[in-house]
Amino acid sequence: MALFEARHIAASYTRAGETAQLFSDVCFVLEEGRIYDLIGSSGSGKSTLLKICALMIKRERGDLFLDNKESATFEPTVWRRQVCLVPQIPTLITGTVRDNLLFPWKLKVHAGQTPPDETTLISLLERAELVDIELDRDVSQLSGGQVARVALLRAFATKPQVLLLDEVDASLDDESASAIGRLTNSLVDKGIACLRIRHRKADGFASGTFTLKDSVLSYASHVADLKKANPPTLDPQTLDPPTPSSLSEEVARS
Amino acid sequence: MNSGFVDIGYIELFASALLMLIAGVVSYKLELGQAKRILVSTLRCFIQLLAVGFLLQYLFEYQTWWIMVLVVAVMLIAATQIATSRIKSSVPGLIPAVFLSIFVSSLAVGMLIAEGVVRADPWYNAQQLIPIIGMIIGNAMSATAVAIDRLFADMDARENEMFSLVALGATTREAAFPSLKAAVGAGMTPVLATMSAAGIVAIPGMMGGQILSGVDPLAAAKYQIVVMLMLSAATTIAIVMVCFLTYRKRFSQDGYYLDRGQRL
Repeated sequence: MALFEARHIAASYTRAGETAQLFSDVCFVLEEGRIYDLIGSSGSGKSTLLKICALMIKRERGDLFLDNKESATFEPTVWRRQVCLVPQIPTLITGTVRDNLLFPWKLKVHAGQTPPDETTLISLLERAELVDIELDRDVSQLSGGQVARVALLRAFATKPQVLLLDEVDASLDDESASAIGRLTNSLVDKGIACLRIRHRKADGFASGTFTLKDSVLSYASHVADLKKANPPTLDPQTLDPPTPSSLSEEVARS
Repeated sequence: MNSGFVDIGYIELFASALLMLIAGVVSYKLELGQAKRILVSTLRCFIQLLAVGFLLQYLFEYQTWWIMVLVVAVMLIAATQIATSRIKSSVPGLIPAVFLSIFVSSLAVGMLIAEGVVRADPWYNAQQLIPIIGMIIGNAMSATAVAIDRLFADMDARENEMFSLVALGATTREAAFPSLKAAVGAGMTPVLATMSAAGIVAIPGMMGGQILSGVDPLAAAKYQIVVMLMLSAATTIAIVMVCFLTYRKRFSQDGYYLDRGQRL
């Protein structure tokens, strides 16, 4: 089932008093349990598209749906809590790693919800291959790759339904970048979808690639050569036959 | 009460203007190019203060409540104009916000002091009302300008941080809060600093003036204390109001921060 859907999105930008159209009719669907890559040359509007999905920039036209509910029916803060954008330049608040991971629960949008306990936080750090980092570590002592991973964990800890990653691995070395890829892959599970802008070589975690070129968004599926077996969701956008493993799971469930 | 009061003669007054020659010589020698400004400032100081003196003389004699209201209104409008012209950041809807903040703070605290502490009689007595409200407006004006500049400079500096916070579901207020704190703090600092230095390092202007004009030093000190408490309360009200009335204008309807690229 489509978890997230964007229909007929149009956006433009103004520079030096002139308005230029970035794209005028972009549509796409994200299925739960899947990771998608978004590529395209710089200036093609990838970041703008991600910001539009998170209601963080003006769109000229178009509708966004989460679980078939239109974005206008949400408070923008509630929408962003479910459709969470992690920006290219990760910014942590001053304080410790724990302060940052727990920060979302200080916000009104999480009022009344219990923050994750110590064990959950430690297991999060383990998944991000940050076992050598203590929760009490001051964030000013983290490396760039560690900051990027803590920022990603902070977004993930709130369990958003859609994760939008804007080149979170852009400024990192290969090792940190592939750690981010593995982390994203382990985080994206049932009920969650992830769309990430990447410039690096495909890491095999994405089930499809969107390409934004000349204002047109095209899609290519890689479901057949995925590294991990994904939840048995059929992708209506692709003609890929379901893998044998997912077929048997489907039978077992029904 | 007027035993030690010495009026300044007009010859001595205008002769004092020669003191500005010092600034003039310095400006000339160091090629600061300030000659015109020195001249203009000196003239403005003379003209404006003497005009106020004459105006107050007239007011004391012929005051009615509606003339007072008119005078205070003119002061508020002038203060709003000066404060907004000092602010470097361009903010839509700044003028009404500054006016409202100065208006509320000066009226609320000013009337409280004038009626409750100094007990003006009649309630619109210019001798109490004008100096009190004038001092408050002057301080509130500088403090709001400092606070607004600080608020918007700080928000621009925190652009990326605020983007991250809003992306996590923060409301505009939650995203802007550290900047609001910094701005209110920056606006409050001058008054608090003056308060703690008063009497030791400096005889505050008002108290000095009162002593010079023959008022009992203890009475002058008591007035000065009340004035400082009042200024502290009034500037705090003014800057909190102006910050909370304006920060939202840099955010979109949907609650994201309008960075420099989106404000063009």
